[in-house]
Amino acid sequence: MTTSTPTETTEPQTGPEPAEDTADVGATAVRRTRRKLVLRWMGMPALLALAFGALYLWVSGQELDSIEKRTLNASALTQRVIEHLQLAAVSTLIVIVIAIPLGILATRRSARYVAPVLLALGNLGQAIPSFGLITIVVLLAGVGFKSVVFGLVAYSALPILRNTMVGLQQVDQTLVKSARGMGMSPMKTLLRVELPLAVPVVLAGVRTALILNVGTATLATFFGVKALGYVIFQGIQLDRTPVLIVGAVMASGLALLVDYLAGVVEELLTPRGL
Amino acid sequence: MKPMDFYEYLKYNAEPLFDEAVGHVRLVAISIGIALVVGCALGVLAHRSARTRPVILAVSSTLLTIPSLALFALAIPLLGLGTPPAVVALVLYALLPIVRNTVVGLASVDQNVLRAARGMGIGSWRRFARIELPLAWPVVLAGVRVSTQIVVGIAAIGALVNGPGLGNEIFRGLRSLGSPFALNFVLGGTLGIVVVALLFDAMFILLRRFTTARGIR
Repeated sequence: MTTSTPTETTEPQTGPEPAEDTADVGATAVRRTRRKLVLRWMGMPALLALAFGALYLWVSGQELDSIEKRTLNASALTQRVIEHLQLAAVSTLIVIVIAIPLGILATRRSARYVAPVLLALGNLGQAIPSFGLITIVVLLAGVGFKSVVFGLVAYSALPILRNTMVGLQQVDQTLVKSARGMGMSPMKTLLRVELPLAVPVVLAGVRTALILNVGTATLATFFGVKALGYVIFQGIQLDRTPVLIVGAVMASGLALLVDYLAGVVEELLTPRGL
Repeated sequence: MKPMDFYEYLKYNAEPLFDEAVGHVRLVAISIGIALVVGCALGVLAHRSARTRPVILAVSSTLLTIPSLALFALAIPLLGLGTPPAVVALVLYALLPIVRNTVVGLASVDQNVLRAARGMGIGSWRRFARIELPLAWPVVLAGVRVSTQIVVGIAAIGALVNGPGLGNEIFRGLRSLGSPFALNFVLGGTLGIVVVALLFDAMFILLRRFTTARGIR
């Protein structure tokens, strides 16, 4: 799954949308697997190292004026990265804690009438633009870190919720039945059979939510949180191209790095039998 | 002064809101149109040559991972402000679903059908245009639909680079933060975008019905 991205998991439940089929499309040549594996795990770090190296060389070759120096120095930029990661990490953690249990509850037998409604509402909610949603939350709850986290949580809950539900629903029901027949309690069946089988789909949802949060966190600059979007916006407002480029490249690099690391973790956490 | 309620706001701002909605639709339509042509071409290329496939898919998936604000901003030094940087950024965002679904759609075409066509003496170009593409089309169209959903939302941020669209209404609300009107502007822009998204989706349902070849409907 070299191409895991937000949309890959957007619609796992609708018919013609190929959710994970791309992996099979290219899996014909066995002899190229080794080279592919190297490319897959080394390609992104190499690209990022190259991009950051080039950025550093380019910026250090520039004559920076006092305004540019104020945003483009090591300590200020480190602070931006830290705030960015804090936003993304806190909101993703909160989303995981809320959405996975909710998804589990929604797929229990007693809630079988709620599940389709929940999914339909979620799909409808997806039409709301992230920017508008966070702005509304901030207008109602005030400017600052907490409101931005709240907005991010509201926006990124859907992929995890949906993937948890879809992941659990696609578990072969005969397996669940045989587990129950072996005398496992419903709880034990959930923990030992259903959840492990749903892990790949759930993890894909978590990764999607994480990437959404890292990307959307750049917008936090409009709501009083100085994450990497602050650098970008300063560049635009003050018409300083170096500032703009540093901000944009750093924000992009961070998103790609997080996506890459999430992919590694995803691979490691998938149960071996799958 | 009593804050204007949302209904009054809509009543007095119907015309500018409508204009912004039209601008939004136009921006999305142009971007998706370009992305459809480019994405299909890349998808066909990726389908035909196994060597370029991973590269094309990896690049288009990387593009979708880049934060929208960063992509819009990077277009400014190259293209200035206004509609062009917004279109370029949106096209890049729309590529992945279209490319991926084109590849998957073409791969799902039964090879025996193509062999039969070849045996009947149908040339390679006609085979592609009359058989392969129509059979893959529903899957391609599903990709275009996903792309459109993504792009309608992201287009809101295009207002940052002075692009057209309903994002301007949200930014207006953001600039008047603290005033009693702010929420009206933001709600107007956001709900407007939701309506645009739903209209596009309805259009795709119709489009799917009318553009799917009769034999596979």
